[in-house]
Amino acid sequence: MNILVCLKQVPDSTVRVKVAPDAKSIVTDGITWAISPYDEYAIELALEHKDADPGTTVSALTVGPARARDALRQALAMGCDDAAIVVGEAAGLGLARALAAAVRERTPDLVLCGRQASDDDQGFVGMALAEALGWPHVASVTAFKAADGGGIEIWKEIEGGHEVWKASGPVLLTVQKSAKEPRYPSLPGIMKAKKKEIPERALSDLGVDQAGPVAEVVAMQPPPARGNGVILKDADTGALATELARRLRDEAKVL
Amino acid sequence: MKTLVVAERKDGQPRRVSLELAAKARELGDVEVVEITGERVSAGAAAAALATAARGADLVLVGATAAGRDVAARLAAKLGRPYASEVTEIEPGDALQVTRSMYAGKVRATVRLPLPAVLSVRPNAFPLPDGAAAPQIAPLAAAPEEGLSFVRFEEAKSAGDGRIPLAEARVIVAGGRGLRGPENWKLVEDLADVLGAAIGASRAVTDAGWRPNEEQVGQTGKTVSPDLYIALGISGAIQHLAGMTSSKVIVAVNKDPDADMFKVCDYGVVADLFDFVPKLTAEIRKVKAGG
Repeated sequence: MNILVCLKQVPDSTVRVKVAPDAKSIVTDGITWAISPYDEYAIELALEHKDADPGTTVSALTVGPARARDALRQALAMGCDDAAIVVGEAAGLGLARALAAAVRERTPDLVLCGRQASDDDQGFVGMALAEALGWPHVASVTAFKAADGGGIEIWKEIEGGHEVWKASGPVLLTVQKSAKEPRYPSLPGIMKAKKKEIPERALSDLGVDQAGPVAEVVAMQPPPARGNGVILKDADTGALATELARRLRDEAKVL
Repeated sequence: MKTLVVAERKDGQPRRVSLELAAKARELGDVEVVEITGERVSAGAAAAALATAARGADLVLVGATAAGRDVAARLAAKLGRPYASEVTEIEPGDALQVTRSMYAGKVRATVRLPLPAVLSVRPNAFPLPDGAAAPQIAPLAAAPEEGLSFVRFEEAKSAGDGRIPLAEARVIVAGGRGLRGPENWKLVEDLADVLGAAIGASRAVTDAGWRPNEEQVGQTGKTVSPDLYIALGISGAIQHLAGMTSSKVIVAVNKDPDADMFKVCDYGVVADLFDFVPKLTAEIRKVKAGG
């Protein structure tokens, strides 16, 4: 099976995000970049499949700025077979079309995306890529395997359990979480990844239509400050419980 | 303005978020409410069925439930329209201005979308006026999607016990590592029961396998904004805080007075939770009984 994982480089999730002086972007100076967490789960799911079936190839693909090459290097170090970058800035439908053009050149059986990138939290590009490819998609996937008699069985997390779906042909999955945490690159993995070529193309060379109406971020602000809460302590727990229940009823009016 | 609301049902009743959206759409102008009929309809099939009705609408609103977000994104792509997910405020105009969170809740963004557009809207974002007329919901049948078929449902071993889904809950009681082990979750459940609350968990807890992944709140889990969020024994890692600081009222219970959760809470209790929580449960039961 040929699996292609589309990934995005985003600010590492432990980074303290600060709104920039233009009030519509974030401060990126000195930021640590990483593979978006759900995309890492997608890589892990693909690599688990490869562990079980060595005939599997796992490729990584990104469309983004040149620095996103580091994210691909990380994906290779985790164990992906090859990686490619399309350099350019795209978002939304334009990004989905660019990814679709790059996917079509590779004819994978399965495309994995994280369920949403941890920067814009939109959860759009995976579905839009499936639409651009004319493929079905299954969202919030936690596992998949080759089905007996052909096709792929897919576990989709929903309220109260999992739906199992079967795809008879190419399908796109957006990954929720894998059972295992994403693996760390091994030392030999890192050494091997260093030697691998990461072919690069310019977004403008793909000949993809970037026009069309888009959602545009016009302002950003930090979430409303919280704090200065009432701290109850140094009393008998029974008295604290009475006091809290009273405040929740009379002040906060949530009981 | 003409708005199409895509409603969802649970246990035969329209979901609260669908009613919230129908009420909001009425404020904005004309409204049509539809629902996809049939069991286990794939998102692609639902989006295909919705496309015709959506083409005549300036705005499509879908509840940002697990299924709703999935369908809304695919529909926006199919129509080639701008899309924003998990919206919490809508400012009408020739182009919409909406508010949504980014960077796992660390940033609040204002997003401008030229019409026509598609939005998924977070449950609890808009009030449901008392006595709001129940909307007429028109059924829409979906054709099966080529290449994809439903096989079976596998129930989670520790499934929600009939509780409300986390993302839609008005009250959430969440437990962290301070509970020391899955065997102590009865404390969380008892408090959740008297409050009619959903149960949440920190990542440490779901990673340890004490609770199912679907209960995880925060980055790589659910983002929630209930009226009341009670955090029991959760220290408050930045990834967890990002997922719940838009809650209206936050209560933190922790033995450690330096826990970061105390910095974002409205009410904090520094106490041993094993001693305190049963007493709080009893107190709230009394208050609920009118005492």
